[in-house]
Amino acid sequence: MKKFLNLLQKEIRELITMQLFISLLFTIFLFYFIGQMLKTEMKKAMRVQEIAVLNLDDSALSQNLLGALRSANFEPKPVPDRDTQKAIQWTKGTNINLLLVIPPGFGESVEKFENKQIETYSFLRTFSIVGSRGSVIINAVIKAMNEFISNDYLKRKIPEIGPEQLKNPIKSRDFVIVKDRMAEGAAEKIAGFVSSQSIFVPIILMMIIIYASQMVISAIAMEKQNKTLETLLTVPISRTSIVTAKMVASAVVGLISAVIYMIGYRYSFGSLMGDVSRTVGSGMGGVIQKLGLAMTTKGYIILGISLFFAILVALALATILGVLAEDFRAAQSLIMPLIFLVMIPYFLSFFSDPKSLSLPMKIFLYAIPFSHPFLTTQNLLLENYQAVVFGILYMLAFFIVLIIIAARIFSTDRVLTMKLRFGKKKLVI
Amino acid sequence: MDSVLVVEGLQKYYGGLEALKGISFTVGRGEIFALIGPNGAGKTTALRIVATLLSPSDGKVSFLGFDLKKQPEKFREKISYLPEEAGAYKNLKGIDYLKFMAKFYAESEKETQEFIERAKEIADLGTRLNEKSGTYSKGMTRKLLLGRALMTRPELAILDEPTSGLDVINALEVREIVKRFAREGISVLLSSHNMLEIEFLSDRVAMIDKGKILDSGTPETLKDKHHAKNLEEVFRSALQ
Repeated sequence: MKKFLNLLQKEIRELITMQLFISLLFTIFLFYFIGQMLKTEMKKAMRVQEIAVLNLDDSALSQNLLGALRSANFEPKPVPDRDTQKAIQWTKGTNINLLLVIPPGFGESVEKFENKQIETYSFLRTFSIVGSRGSVIINAVIKAMNEFISNDYLKRKIPEIGPEQLKNPIKSRDFVIVKDRMAEGAAEKIAGFVSSQSIFVPIILMMIIIYASQMVISAIAMEKQNKTLETLLTVPISRTSIVTAKMVASAVVGLISAVIYMIGYRYSFGSLMGDVSRTVGSGMGGVIQKLGLAMTTKGYIILGISLFFAILVALALATILGVLAEDFRAAQSLIMPLIFLVMIPYFLSFFSDPKSLSLPMKIFLYAIPFSHPFLTTQNLLLENYQAVVFGILYMLAFFIVLIIIAARIFSTDRVLTMKLRFGKKKLVI
Repeated sequence: MDSVLVVEGLQKYYGGLEALKGISFTVGRGEIFALIGPNGAGKTTALRIVATLLSPSDGKVSFLGFDLKKQPEKFREKISYLPEEAGAYKNLKGIDYLKFMAKFYAESEKETQEFIERAKEIADLGTRLNEKSGTYSKGMTRKLLLGRALMTRPELAILDEPTSGLDVINALEVREIVKRFAREGISVLLSSHNMLEIEFLSDRVAMIDKGKILDSGTPETLKDKHHAKNLEEVFRSALQ
């Protein structure tokens, strides 16, 4: 044990370098910078926005429309000319991104329920969502005004029936059933809310797996590149201890780095995504609780176990790949297959339902050990415990097989003779 | 002289390539035994097998009565190997590297300190030991590694081209150190293609080429046998 701890200490010291600190600090700074920039842009978008208005109508209704726009944080700026083309040219020369043209006779036509079109001209100076937000709000304002005008008309014409009842005679109440629990709510809203709450799980998982794997694969490749591996293999410590020390050290440093990254990420972008805690106790929070779709402490522990086994599999796989690498540069290339193995279930878990996949695709997905932790949250919430247990056992079996292979490689000549030569593209043994 | 290392009919294949074709030799206690030969002769393969890095395809290697195939861990406890192109951990200070290596062999903290002090004396790097080994020259790294290899007073020191990359003065110092330790009872198995160095250092020599030992004996008997002035001439004669 003393020898193992000595080796572990050295492995950790080798991994915690100035480059690692600089890389961590730089990434956190980058997160902070992007986060602040986005926050500023969002604030800007929420501020009062100028809108150029060519009002050729001047009726009470058009004045009401401008009033509604003021309530929606717009400041209407009258265009000096009375011609649409000139108004476009005038707006182009300003920083205003939106021109609203209210045609003559607008109020009168609307009163008579003759469709009269108002025109909006968006000056697309950027492709960001924030940049095109103005026209979206105008459409929402127009929709609300349409509602108001039609409701007002209906109230006057048919006072005995409410406009809402008249326009929507069929109403629906939506219920969602999860296993044997039921609650009132729209399925898409609940699904959206649950996925927004667990969006961090795959990101954390992917970061830890990739980070820790990169550490171990590089650690082995560096031993080869710096010609220290031969000496290490002749000291009185078992080969299994050498492999284990590298894996444990990489897991510890990888985990710490990933946690630091995630704190930086959460701190920088968290406020933009909405605070989860704010929803607790709200209407949606109540529905989620009622449906049992909130993660419990037990759930988080099981998710942690699943994540732990995924990391072990990744480390064992990276150890084998590390042996194949001749130097650090080769190690960086060899990490790619592992990244793909993590990325495939990551994207599949985001964009598809594993149950709806074809059989070959399903087999492919479940054969990748990293798919299981990605699906754990969903399976836990839907109480598919069998799938969770199967996933953990599968990863455990996968890890045992890989660690046996890794230990065998380390206890034979292959640790020194096995390598992939990228220049010649062939396996030399 | 009783043998600490006995190698019998050692063979090694790399796929279809026969790197060692059944070589046999022994190393006595406190003896410096050298394998000499050109590049690719099989010297490093033989040393790597004795150092437990490679497994033999056939033949027997026993060290202090332990069988290499059955008890490689017993070998590792009592040998020390200096590979030809070895390096140290670049992010560790020289002194930390020695401490790290010493802890694998020492039974106590006191013994660890003894090992480190001995390594400091051998390496003779002064205050540079407090700097990261990544800043060392090739010669300094070699001396640090030699200090590491000999600090534990192993039963058998396996030195592959011990003066590789060293200047004349440093090479002379290293040879003196190896001789001194052998006089103190450490057995040495070394390889080199520098015949003059071997003649100065070795008690006995085996000439190896294409995986076969051509001839072996003390430098003097070999010179007499081949009517040669030095080992280079002996080697040329043995090749014919």
